[in-house]
Amino acid sequence: MADQSEQVATGQVAVTMAEVNKWFDDFHVLKNINLTVADGEKVVVCGPSGSGKSTLIRCICKLEDHQRGSINVLGTELNDDVANIDEIRREVGMVFQQFNLFPHMTVLENCTLAQTLVRRKTRKEAESIAMGFLEKVRIPEQASKYPGELSGGQQQRVAIARSLCMSPKIMLFDEPTSALDPEMISEVLDVMVSLAEEGMTMICVTHEMGFARRVADRVIFMDEGEIVEQNEPHAFFENPTNERTRLFLSQILQH
Amino acid sequence: MRSKADLMTTTALPSPPPISLATKIREGYFSGPVSAVVTIVCAILFAYLAYVIVDWAFLSSIWSEADEPLCKEASGACWSVIDARHRIIFFGLFPYEEHWRSTLACIVMVITIVLSCVPWFWSALRLSLLWITGFGIFYLLMHGGLFGLSVITPERWGGLALTIFIFAAVSLIGMPLSILLALGRRSKLPVIAKLFGLFIDFFRSLPLLTILFTAAVITPFVLPDILQGDKLYRVIVGFAIFFACYQAENIRAGLQAVPPGQVEAGLTLGLNYWQRVTRIQLPQAFRNSLPAIVNQFVITFKETSIVTIVGFFEILASGAAAYGTGKWTVHYIEVYVFIGLIYFIFVFSLSRYGAYLEKKLRVGHG
Ligand SMILES: Nc1ncnc2c1ncn2[C@@H]1O[C@H](COP(=O)(O)OP(=O)(O)O)[C@@H](O)[C@H]1O
Ligand SMILES: [Mg+2]
Repeated sequence: MADQSEQVATGQVAVTMAEVNKWFDDFHVLKNINLTVADGEKVVVCGPSGSGKSTLIRCICKLEDHQRGSINVLGTELNDDVANIDEIRREVGMVFQQFNLFPHMTVLENCTLAQTLVRRKTRKEAESIAMGFLEKVRIPEQASKYPGELSGGQQQRVAIARSLCMSPKIMLFDEPTSALDPEMISEVLDVMVSLAEEGMTMICVTHEMGFARRVADRVIFMDEGEIVEQNEPHAFFENPTNERTRLFLSQILQH
Repeated sequence: MRSKADLMTTTALPSPPPISLATKIREGYFSGPVSAVVTIVCAILFAYLAYVIVDWAFLSSIWSEADEPLCKEASGACWSVIDARHRIIFFGLFPYEEHWRSTLACIVMVITIVLSCVPWFWSALRLSLLWITGFGIFYLLMHGGLFGLSVITPERWGGLALTIFIFAAVSLIGMPLSILLALGRRSKLPVIAKLFGLFIDFFRSLPLLTILFTAAVITPFVLPDILQGDKLYRVIVGFAIFFACYQAENIRAGLQAVPPGQVEAGLTLGLNYWQRVTRIQLPQAFRNSLPAIVNQFVITFKETSIVTIVGFFEILASGAAAYGTGKWTVHYIEVYVFIGLIYFIFVFSLSRYGAYLEKKLRVGHG
């Protein structure tokens, strides 16, 4: 914790996006995005559906290519050089809305696969690391089950553990609780909160405003491919300056 | 979900009433007058058919070669022809005193095929070791030339051994090729994808016969001597390409059914292309299109009989030779029933294995 906050203070940067633009054919999905995320910082991204939130964080782990501007992750420029892309992907964990666990592998195998193939760990090492993280997300007893036998909340926690097994420096979350039944949301958020408390650098697309208030250093509001407003959570929720932010907040806070 | 969990925590709730066998039969087969009539008529027909077959094959049949003269009087099958000519059916033109080699070779190949169906062997290393050993022993036994075994060239191979060899070799060359073709056709590079697509569609739109004929008869004029190899191998390669093009489409369909999120998860974990393909995409693709993939093997086993046309003595052709002379010419039905039974054993085992795999792989899809 201590050295994490020091890094924030000395301004170590995890992600920088400068003048990033992206198009899907003619559709301008990201417009002049400028964003800097410091090491250890927790950023929550919200905004209406289709505003480009997913595309934004998918660009950070290069699941999508951007066409203009530059993205720098952990000091490496994301260009088309394959070798450094694989390197970056190893340092950046991603949690998807649909979990995307591998259905033909047990929970434990899901967590050890990349460790053995990419990190060159022995099976034993990988398994003990995996069990450690499964305990952390509180489902070690499900290790030998297949994803299809678990509830949505359990699957999402496995997905988080699977990412953590690669000891990423940055974690990206794309609406991790949107596909869950209401009673399972909190078990996933709890895991994310404890991860945040340990100082992980996190960029979360989510509409869980309670979570944002609790852990975010900064909340970003996106609309139509632009970052419309960003602020620390208290100010963001209490005094939104932009009309579109106010409208959006009034809509989601009604529920 | 809810109610199931609740049930599990409460012990006092009753279990569903037991259903007796009598109830099951009544509800399944005699639920109304129409159903009862259908059941009874079917049962009578089935019993009659079973009686006719058992009577023909067992009760009224003649078994030994010596009893052949009795066949004229008998109303049942004349298995004498099998007793007398089974060696030709199994071994074709293979030299008589070397038949034990062909028998052993068949057994080795069948064991190899069966072992490669066992999940323990499913790693690239184990499978290749298994097949290299299996084929090595098979070839040594059939071809000879080492350890004092006399040389028997492939033109003289025949019967069941040849059928099994062609099937195994076509599968062995065809499967990796089909995976390659399927991946090529899904390549991100349009040139590669188009090229592979063209290749697959080209060979799929030719009749197998044309391909085999080309491989056997025409390639010798086109290829330099050194590339030709034996006619049998050219035919096998042609057959394998044909097989692979069909199998590639089955695999591609399976790959297409894997959600894109699976690949993305692999990407974000830092897996490279081959790791994603072999660990994530292919296992799921095989599971997705297993019925079609097994079906292609079944079809291929039966299609091996077509090599007769280009002059090979596989089991159907050697069967024809078995009843082709003298007093045996009238007993072709028995020969074909016998060969049919051999095909049935192989094909039925294949499809049962497919069903077993499907069940086994369904674990985890919940
Ligand atoms: N692969 C794609 N091809 C074309 N359009 C896309 C693609 N992915 C997303 N889009 C479009 O880009 C816009 C932004 O999508 P997305 O980033 O998923 O929004 P959000 O996550 O904020 O809901 C949407 O209008 C969507 O339809
Ligand atoms: Mg989205």
